[in-house]
Amino acid sequence: MKGKKFAGNILFFILLILLWQLMYTASCDWFHWAKPYAVPSPAGVADCIVYLLSNGTLLTAIVGSLLRVSFGFAISVLIGSILGASIVAFDYLAQNLKPLILGIQTLPSICWVPFAILWFGLTESAIIFVVVMGSAFGIALSIESGIKNVPPIYIKAAKTMGVDSLHLYLRVIFPAALPAFVAGLKQGWSFAWRALMSGEVMSASVGLGYTLMVGRDLADINQVMTIMLVIICIGILIDKRIFTLAEHHILKKRGLL
Amino acid sequence: MYLRLNSVSKLFTDTDKKTLQNISLEVEEGEFICIVGPSGCGKSTLLNLIAGLDHPTSGSIILDGREIHGPGADRVVMFQEAALYPWLNVKENVLFGLQAAGHPKTVQQEIAEKYLKLVRLWQYKDYPIHQISGGMKQRVALARALALDSKLLLMDEPFSALDKQTIHILRGELEEIWEKHRKTILYVTHSVEEAVYFSDRVVVMAENPGRIKDIIPIPFDRPRNIEHPDFVALRKQILSQVQLSARKIAAEEFDKAEGDEIK
Repeated sequence: MKGKKFAGNILFFILLILLWQLMYTASCDWFHWAKPYAVPSPAGVADCIVYLLSNGTLLTAIVGSLLRVSFGFAISVLIGSILGASIVAFDYLAQNLKPLILGIQTLPSICWVPFAILWFGLTESAIIFVVVMGSAFGIALSIESGIKNVPPIYIKAAKTMGVDSLHLYLRVIFPAALPAFVAGLKQGWSFAWRALMSGEVMSASVGLGYTLMVGRDLADINQVMTIMLVIICIGILIDKRIFTLAEHHILKKRGLL
Repeated sequence: MYLRLNSVSKLFTDTDKKTLQNISLEVEEGEFICIVGPSGCGKSTLLNLIAGLDHPTSGSIILDGREIHGPGADRVVMFQEAALYPWLNVKENVLFGLQAAGHPKTVQQEIAEKYLKLVRLWQYKDYPIHQISGGMKQRVALARALALDSKLLLMDEPFSALDKQTIHILRGELEEIWEKHRKTILYVTHSVEEAVYFSDRVVVMAENPGRIKDIIPIPFDRPRNIEHPDFVALRKQILSQVQLSARKIAAEEFDKAEGDEIK
């Protein structure tokens, strides 16, 4: 059953690549709708992957981007947690700051690029800033709603068993809100990854966004396409292998899956 | 007197209705008291006040010579839902309260084992909560509550979400445990049969404002036979009292709704 499903997946991608090749051939060779340098081809992308791998560019770019996003994401989690917890703790913030955060969260992270450049110049910090602004607020909101949605009965029961407030947070509220936290981190990660690209396109000297821009500058559409595919693959890989796996593990243990 | 309620009143500010008015009650150590009344008479609110989860607007509650100001492990509550923690297994749930009590680890283990055996769930100690039945969950909750060895056990319709057969089994178990440990229990229920079965005295409450209408001592020997004519007669007598006010409330709410429509 599982093997059959896997074969189906492979077939789908083979068909997709064939369709892509067909479109390329049709538009460039048969009807001359487009110039070959403006349309990526499967063969061109394959060549590009081999080339970027062999000269080490791709690996350096991936490592550079992952280090950067990890650092930015860690700061986001820290800031988001503090912000989220403060909103829960103070009604005044919940009434006034929360709507603002909801608003900021809808802002595409690229909007922070001008600030980033003015305040930090074309530096690492500027990129980190964009990543943090892109993901911290979403994390704050999910921390807040995670805590808010802890069933009151869990808290009541703990209180009548003589649990003090520190332990109430550590042993009841935190574990009860954990599934919501992980879901929030997963979403925050995808925001961070997107924001990273906005930042890297602007000012990096190493990284996937930078390599993509080099492709643009060299008018090498295959390189642009290659990097886009790599960005997608890493995004999916981290989402599935880290966050979704953790989420499933937690939910399964509680019989929610 | 072990537990004393001195004209306790509770007013919720969002409704102008007085939820509880001048509740005075004295409970002896080791007594089993059941509180019955129509829904909305404030019997759960009363339990919350004694638990310290809520504060009375006026009056005071004194347990073993000390006034109650907040929740504490000397008054454990068993809720209608088991309120077990799904991230812990059966035994860990029982250990939860014991950890807060600060016993040494080995003592915690011994106590948990003792009470899980008492509710006959020791062989399920490693089960996750979602894999045990509703009745078993309430037994875990009972073990968790008993393990704390509190002065007072507050029970808020603990069996009302279960099926009839399970209720019968659990009633027997609870009675057996109470006979053995002689805990002071305040038990809120909407089942008059349950109240007459368990209690030394039944507190009948009336609604609007929530108040004590009558306190009826139950003279029967234990274990009680729910089909005995005397039992049935007393049950019917109390039931008619509860239903009387229940019908009154229904009529009032009905009138109000109609009045709203006319407007």
